[in-house]
Amino acid sequence: MFAFQMADIMPALPEIFLAGIALVLVLVAAYGGETPRSARRVTRIAMGGILITLALVVNGDPLASRAFGGMFSADSFAIYMKVLVLLGTFAALGMSLRSDGDSDINKPEYSLLVLLALVGMMLMISADNLMALYMGVELQSLPLYVVAAMRTNSLRSSEAGLKYFLLGALSSGMLLYGASLVYGVAGTTDFAGIAEAISGRDMPTVFIIGMVFMISGLAFKVSAAPFHMWTPDVYEGSPTLVTALFAIAPKVAAISLLLRLSYGAFGSIADQWQQVLIALSVGSMVIGALGAIMQTDIKRMMAYSSIAHMGYALAGLAAGTVAGVTGVMIYMTGYVFMGAGTFAIILLMRRDGAEATRITDLQGLSRTHPLLALGLLVMMFSMAGIPPLAGFFGKWYVFLAAVEAGLVPLAVIGVVMSVIGAFYYLRIIRLMYFEDTDSPLDSKIPMANRVVLGASLAVILLFFAGIAGLLAAADSAAVALIVLG
Amino acid sequence: MYASIVFLPLIGSLIAGWLSLGNRDRAAELITCGCMLLSLLFSIIAFAQVAIDGQPITIDLARWIVSGDFEAMWRLRFDTLTAVMLIVVTGVSSMVHIYSVGYMSHDNARARFMAYLSLFTFAMLMLVTADNLVQLFFGWEGVGVASYLLIGFWYKKDSAHSAAMKAFVVNRVGDFGFALGILAVYQIFGSIQFDEIFTNAAVMANTEINFLGGALPALEVAGILLFIGAMGKSAQLGLHTWLPDAMEGPTPVSALIHAATMVTAGVFMVCRLSPMLEYAPLSLDIITIVGALTAIFAATVGFTQFDIKRVIAYSTCSQLGYMFFAAGVSAYPAAMFHLTTHAFFKALLFLGAGSVIHAMSDEQDLRNMGGIWRKVPVTYAMMWIGSLALAGFPFFAGFYSKDMILEAAYAAHTGVGSLAFWLGCAAAFLTAFYSWRLLIMAFHGKPRASAEVMSHVHESPLVMTLPLLVLSIGAVFSGWLGYELFVGAGMDRFWGDSILILPIHTAMEHAHHVPTWVKLLPVVLATSGVVLAVLCYSVWTGVPAATVRAFRPIHAFFYNKWYFDELYDAIFVRPAVRIGAFLWHKGDRDTIDGLGPDGLSGLVVRVSAAAARLQSGFVFHYAFAMLIGVVALVTWYYLRFGGM
Amino acid sequence: MIEALFFYLFAAVMLGAGLMVVVSRNPVFSVLFLILAFFNAAGLFVLIGAEFIAMLLVVVYVGAVAVLFLFVVMMLDINFAEMRAGFQKYLPIGLVVGGILVFELVAAMYGDAFSGATLPAASEISNTRALGNVLYTKYMYLFQVAGLILLVAMIGAISLTMRRRSGVRRQVIAEQNMRRREDSVEIVDVPVGASARTVATVPPGKRER
Repeated sequence: MFAFQMADIMPALPEIFLAGIALVLVLVAAYGGETPRSARRVTRIAMGGILITLALVVNGDPLASRAFGGMFSADSFAIYMKVLVLLGTFAALGMSLRSDGDSDINKPEYSLLVLLALVGMMLMISADNLMALYMGVELQSLPLYVVAAMRTNSLRSSEAGLKYFLLGALSSGMLLYGASLVYGVAGTTDFAGIAEAISGRDMPTVFIIGMVFMISGLAFKVSAAPFHMWTPDVYEGSPTLVTALFAIAPKVAAISLLLRLSYGAFGSIADQWQQVLIALSVGSMVIGALGAIMQTDIKRMMAYSSIAHMGYALAGLAAGTVAGVTGVMIYMTGYVFMGAGTFAIILLMRRDGAEATRITDLQGLSRTHPLLALGLLVMMFSMAGIPPLAGFFGKWYVFLAAVEAGLVPLAVIGVVMSVIGAFYYLRIIRLMYFEDTDSPLDSKIPMANRVVLGASLAVILLFFAGIAGLLAAADSAAVALIVLG
Repeated sequence: MYASIVFLPLIGSLIAGWLSLGNRDRAAELITCGCMLLSLLFSIIAFAQVAIDGQPITIDLARWIVSGDFEAMWRLRFDTLTAVMLIVVTGVSSMVHIYSVGYMSHDNARARFMAYLSLFTFAMLMLVTADNLVQLFFGWEGVGVASYLLIGFWYKKDSAHSAAMKAFVVNRVGDFGFALGILAVYQIFGSIQFDEIFTNAAVMANTEINFLGGALPALEVAGILLFIGAMGKSAQLGLHTWLPDAMEGPTPVSALIHAATMVTAGVFMVCRLSPMLEYAPLSLDIITIVGALTAIFAATVGFTQFDIKRVIAYSTCSQLGYMFFAAGVSAYPAAMFHLTTHAFFKALLFLGAGSVIHAMSDEQDLRNMGGIWRKVPVTYAMMWIGSLALAGFPFFAGFYSKDMILEAAYAAHTGVGSLAFWLGCAAAFLTAFYSWRLLIMAFHGKPRASAEVMSHVHESPLVMTLPLLVLSIGAVFSGWLGYELFVGAGMDRFWGDSILILPIHTAMEHAHHVPTWVKLLPVVLATSGVVLAVLCYSVWTGVPAATVRAFRPIHAFFYNKWYFDELYDAIFVRPAVRIGAFLWHKGDRDTIDGLGPDGLSGLVVRVSAAAARLQSGFVFHYAFAMLIGVVALVTWYYLRFGGM
Repeated sequence: MIEALFFYLFAAVMLGAGLMVVVSRNPVFSVLFLILAFFNAAGLFVLIGAEFIAMLLVVVYVGAVAVLFLFVVMMLDINFAEMRAGFQKYLPIGLVVGGILVFELVAAMYGDAFSGATLPAASEISNTRALGNVLYTKYMYLFQVAGLILLVAMIGAISLTMRRRSGVRRQVIAEQNMRRREDSVEIVDVPVGASARTVATVPPGKRER
């Protein structure tokens, strides 16, 4: 009979700690009342908790990483991705800390839900079992559905939340259905067990179908085409702070899960899921690059941009090699910081206190806010993949892995789509630098946005200096994922 | 010291260019003039050491191009030929620099102008010190660029702008020939270093080369191609059309570039390549014929023009023809001699003309001048000296050099030599005629300008007249001083190895022993030209108009420059414009842009709009899309793996 | 034999009910058919010996979820006819896509595809006890995470629905208890035959609460 041991607690200590903080915060929020002051207090405690969790994650022992009978794995891959997720969520929470902020967001529940979603993301990253996978996905998704609809007096926000919820439920259904088929064939829910069960034998079609369903369900979470359609509506309709969160953290968790599932559980039939991922990757790159061009709202544009980014990341995933995993990890590293930095600026797009998120609102930013314009310029250049910024290295390693794996057409499509995609990033720069405006944006820049923007800029600009260290870390993590997973 | 001759102007140019950013004109003028004078001083010393003492040297600066067997050094070569050119270039250039300080005093971009002038000088010096053909080509193109910049200096003026373009484009034709010539030389000799070419020229004299589909004598091909380059730069018949238009530039530019230095680069090149061309007799004949035709052609056009600068420009063209046919009959020393003397008196004439224009408030048309000689005595005197030298009156510089050329042409005792002699004599007559026509129309007679202009007529400041004086000294004495060295008894020792004349080409030696009538004929013709001009333009003033009426077709032919511009316009320019328009409309805009960038971006926009339409906002559409996605993927597996 | 008979009975009814959920015109009927489908699913679970799950299905889905649905459907005023307008339009393509999917799944599952997972042999311990044995030990982790998910659902539901708006009347029980008769009731002497207009009424301000 299975029995609990300390060995099960230690690998999951960060998650347990964070969940404990969340539970404490439920009480703090309940007794603190509904005032913005109380909300900020909750947020601060949550951020403190995230920092401690970060320390716990970094200090985790990647060798003694399995817990709960193999459902949970805190290997070096998990550590790497969790650091990204924690940092991203920390930044997103930090930026909600403004005194004149959004009254809908300035509720204690916001931070609480984000914290619980964060626990869900960490569980996703560590999931090593079909059931743990589903639990992680749901724990991550539910709070996000709620925060998307958090602005209760806005029709668009409610609509965004509802759409996200309904389609998310559909994707969960696909995920579950696929998992049941996989379980039916493999006879176990354990990733390692599945890998063992399928290695060296001809897989029945129904297993492949189950795998396709599972990947499709997860593709919804990373908003890969054709499961992307919620993204623009939800990004646009949600409160901007929530959009920032969406753009930064959950995708990292979902990509990690996809990596773990495809390389861990389905590692031996890589040539089968490769096809799915290539299709998803190409679709996302094309939709992301082409869809963004006609957009007028910057949040919507960022949604398409994120779809495109996921397409590039999936290209690395599709490579099916250690280099591919490394490429994806480098890509997601850059992605987190680009998202944080860009949204640190988008959150400042206010005119007379009201959000002004049309792309044309950026006109003449270089005159009114030269430093902000410069920051956004760097972010856009990085997203367009211009060396030596972070976005370039991400694309470089991803496409390199794809080419090495013989997926030259995929890499070519990727490069072409990057070129088309560069158009709308550069359009923003054009608006900022070559157009004039008579109604400048508000000039107040809260400290949190300064810090997030500064830190992101530093990471993106100095990416080339630290690329060797990052590569080494990502490489060892990738090896851990494939060999041990 | 030798290297600094070349690089001082470059330094001056760079500093002046930097100063032009801050509009510090005075500082720029001082620095460029200082650099030029220093360079002139060193040039004189170099002339003494290299030419007089006979110590040619070369200086290695750097390895320039190394590619396989091909190697080009960055090497400065100082022999007598170079030393002569150094004196001419730095001498005239420094005078023009100083003159420009006064002439351009009303301009507000003087620093830029000085920077261009110095840049030009650097390129010209690079050209004359070249040790291989590629380096020569570098200087060649460098002066082309500087010339473009200087002709178009007043870039806001439309005519200046198009004149600069014309000069550049016409020179491209010649440069194409030059580039082909360099390739041919490399093909023949496997090297572009002068030394290697010259030592092997005799061996290669009878080799053949495949060119334009036939096996042709190698050296002839190379020689003719290189001469085409020289024709472009030196404005010889056919490629001369840019020179008159280039007068749109400021007058000091005309004096420096279009009289003394750049246009003589072709002559210099032919002389420099004499060790090779001596083995290419056909090329030499072609050079002679082209030179002779240019001499007479330019003279006939020159005596019908009314723009004071254009008259002098055609005169330059004509004198360059003299130099070429001298070189063509292997009288290279005579060509170089005339080059030197001509540099002084033609620069003097240009600067004098500039002084007149300056005095007449920027009036250039001879018909609107006259009657000012008392008001501008110094300029008037200078123009006289220049004209006397140009017409070749005894004891002025032109007398020695031009007579030498004509005598050499006669002494060549060949068909083309005789042709050149007679055409040259006719041109000498015309030269004298139009020189005095210019003098009389500009300075004598009744004032034809408005009273207001006349009231402003004034002598130029000292900074302008001083260079004129210096040049006039050259115009008077350079022939007398240089005769012995350049073409006289000391000739062989003076030129050393820098010029080669095969023993069978005897024009130079026999030139000193021609019949007396040959020696006298040019002087007689010049004198009669002067007399005729004086009679026509100050005594029987009705004669010119009557002559024009009597010979209307011929006058129109001459006045319109033998219709060269119209001919080129019809043959080259307009078809090129039509082809360009066709390629632009049909090829570029409709095909490349239409299918390429514009078409693609249009397609992207359309697809993008379609993608945006898919985003209907209905949840069930989205759900349906997801479902279709899954089904498509699953179906694809079925089709791929056959159901398994 | 009898088991097979019941299996096909439950399965057929469940499929039919499922179909009716989608096609019936009245949304209330749809929910009722949904309940029928749940019942039959529970029957199927009983047939394979999973009586605990069967009971859960009845208690949770029929007892709570479906009834909640019923309330919502009956309370909300939704124009279902309008929503159905799109149904006809998309029916053909929906049928095609669905048909393909069904065909593929059936084809894939035909035969003994699910060889890996075998039902554990029936043992003497009951379903409930067996679940209890693993739920808090082997699946402790998942159980706790499920608890967190429920917490999220609770917080989410509260934060989305609870709102403070001015002008909304709320019941404050303490105030109701504190209320005295003098505050709200006024004895008025109404003479016989007097017009209602002449009678003094409680001023409007007093009437609040």
